Amino acid sequence: MRLLLVEDDRNLNRQVAAALSDAGYAVDKAFEGEEGQFLGETEPYDAVILDLGLPGIDGVSVLTNWRRAGRKMPVLILTARDRWSDKVQGFDAGADDYLAKPFHMEELLARIRALLRRATGHATSELVSGTVRLDTRSGRVTADGTPVKLTSHEYRLLSYLMHHSGRIVSRGELTEHLYDQDFDRDSNTIEVFVGRLRKKLGVDLIQTVRGLGYLVESGAKADA
Amino acid sequence: MRLLAGRSIAVRLAASSLFWSSLILLIAGLILSALYRQATERAFDERLLVYANDLAADLVSPGDQDQRGLGSLGDPRFDLPLSGWYWQVGRLDAKPRDIRGSRSLLGNPLPMLADSSPDRRFGDIRKDYAAGPEGRFLRVLERDIDLGEDGRFVVRIAGPADEISEAQRRFIAALVVTFLLLGAALGLSTLFQIRFGLKPLLDLRAAVGSIRRGQSERIRGDYPSDIAPLAEELNLLLEANREILERARTQVGNLAHALKTPLSVIINEATDPTPEFTARVREQAAIMREQMDYYLNRARAAALAGTLGAVTEVGPVLEALARTFGKIYRDKQLALDVSAVEGLRFRGERQDLEEMAGNLVDNACKWADSRVEVRAELDTENGRSILRISVEDDGPGLPAEARVEAMKRGRRLDETKPGSGLGLSIVSELAGIYGGKLELGPSRLGGARAELEVAGDLST
Repeated sequence: MRLLLVEDDRNLNRQVAAALSDAGYAVDKAFEGEEGQFLGETEPYDAVILDLGLPGIDGVSVLTNWRRAGRKMPVLILTARDRWSDKVQGFDAGADDYLAKPFHMEELLARIRALLRRATGHATSELVSGTVRLDTRSGRVTADGTPVKLTSHEYRLLSYLMHHSGRIVSRGELTEHLYDQDFDRDSNTIEVFVGRLRKKLGVDLIQTVRGLGYLVESGAKADA
Repeated sequence: MRLLAGRSIAVRLAASSLFWSSLILLIAGLILSALYRQATERAFDERLLVYANDLAADLVSPGDQDQRGLGSLGDPRFDLPLSGWYWQVGRLDAKPRDIRGSRSLLGNPLPMLADSSPDRRFGDIRKDYAAGPEGRFLRVLERDIDLGEDGRFVVRIAGPADEISEAQRRFIAALVVTFLLLGAALGLSTLFQIRFGLKPLLDLRAAVGSIRRGQSERIRGDYPSDIAPLAEELNLLLEANREILERARTQVGNLAHALKTPLSVIINEATDPTPEFTARVREQAAIMREQMDYYLNRARAAALAGTLGAVTEVGPVLEALARTFGKIYRDKQLALDVSAVEGLRFRGERQDLEEMAGNLVDNACKWADSRVEVRAELDTENGRSILRISVEDDGPGLPAEARVEAMKRGRRLDETKPGSGLGLSIVSELAGIYGGKLELGPSRLGGARAELEVAGDLST
């Protein structure tokens, strides 16, 4: 899952970016309106965290421009302006959630999880495919009820595939959504991680659809 | 003038007009009566002179000097005893001085106006007032006649002076009545003038009043060139006022932004080294946040007390809030039902209506099981038109003793629900600033009902 963080305060930006990375997201950072708007228009983000009081173009205008350009990714507004009039303005501009500063990081992470889940059509925080369960809240993965330890890259890959279970995900999409813009992208690494996941969780979980990409079935298997 | 300081312009105008028109009328009256007196005197003197000339003509007519015909003058009043009308003819150059007099004199002498000293100019006509018989005041005319060898005579004619002063008195009485009527007419016309002249000022006052009551945003209409600049200045002042207010709000917002971001950093940085440390920092940060919110709202509210003329349509505000809450609480599947009377308006800033209604609807959504109803309607109470917004939910409701508590600052009835707990106290305070109130009670839906009453009206 790849996120865009637009926040002009360097300290807060660094802090939030670190927390998001720790939670297993790829994060692109922007410090001003124009930069943020450009990234949001050109890169395929799974969600955006947007501050409103930005230098250059303000957050509401950035959001309005994205929506006008047809960008539909979920956007969480993170701002010190917490009056209802600000919130109404934000939601009317196309925001999906609104979090007022000062905030607790857990709250932000929970909201992001909920946004991603909702955007991919999942009702609960636990994603299930066959015998594999992924709890997005705790970041824990179990296979047949046994906890499995994953590296952060493995977790990211599994999480993305399970969020988009029931749909073929191309290798290109995976590289775009698993790594931030500064990462040296090499599609071979995806294959390496898929291999490792199969080894840890069973070969049936991730199917290769020749020429198209990978597929993770949705829902618990009846015979599991 | 000090006496008039602080009185109305109308009173000043009326007083000065009263003073000056009375003075002018008085002077005009004095001049008129003096002129009238002169004219009456002259007319009286001319009558006396006609008699004097008749007497003189009789004197010089040929024939016996002591002729009997002298003195009839064709006026019976000269024969009526002590009638006040007298004549007398005297000689200057011989004795006895007085040769004849009118019968009305009854032998009394008429006072002489000039002594008989030989060096006085001869041939004059002299007029004056003098006391006659019985002390009656007389107007006397005296004329010298030179008959050459027949001698030099003085003809003296007198009429009662009170005829002149009587005419004078009648004239003055008529004058006073006329001038009183004139003065009253002047006073009335002054009053009409003042009303007419001051009408634009009254209009201006009404216009300013309607801005204060929030019925209009600026002064409109044509004003006379004297006060048009005043109206224009007032409009500029209102604009400046709005700008200052807007700036103050922006500054308050900036302050919030400036403080809350570093506070976020502090809260999230404080995860080490011990759980107690983390808890302490978070607790203190929460207090700071509540204090900040409270005082920022107070500052905003203070800036708001000077707001002039803002009017907000209620319907669109509630609909925008419904859209927002639909998104915020989309996981709860609430039926959020909003109804507002068409054209209903709130007399105040849009942001403040959103803040009040937003907090109430947020609370209702937080607690509701499945339904939230928002109604806005207009009511009239003691002649004031009131906008009433009621927000009801079907949640667990609020026990009576908790209702007062709920409106206190920073009070959160259930610590498990998110929110600073400031919501209701902010609504209550804002409503107070707008001269309204917030009341909590049970809802027919089964949950709580919040009723907000503020000044409002219907747009026509």
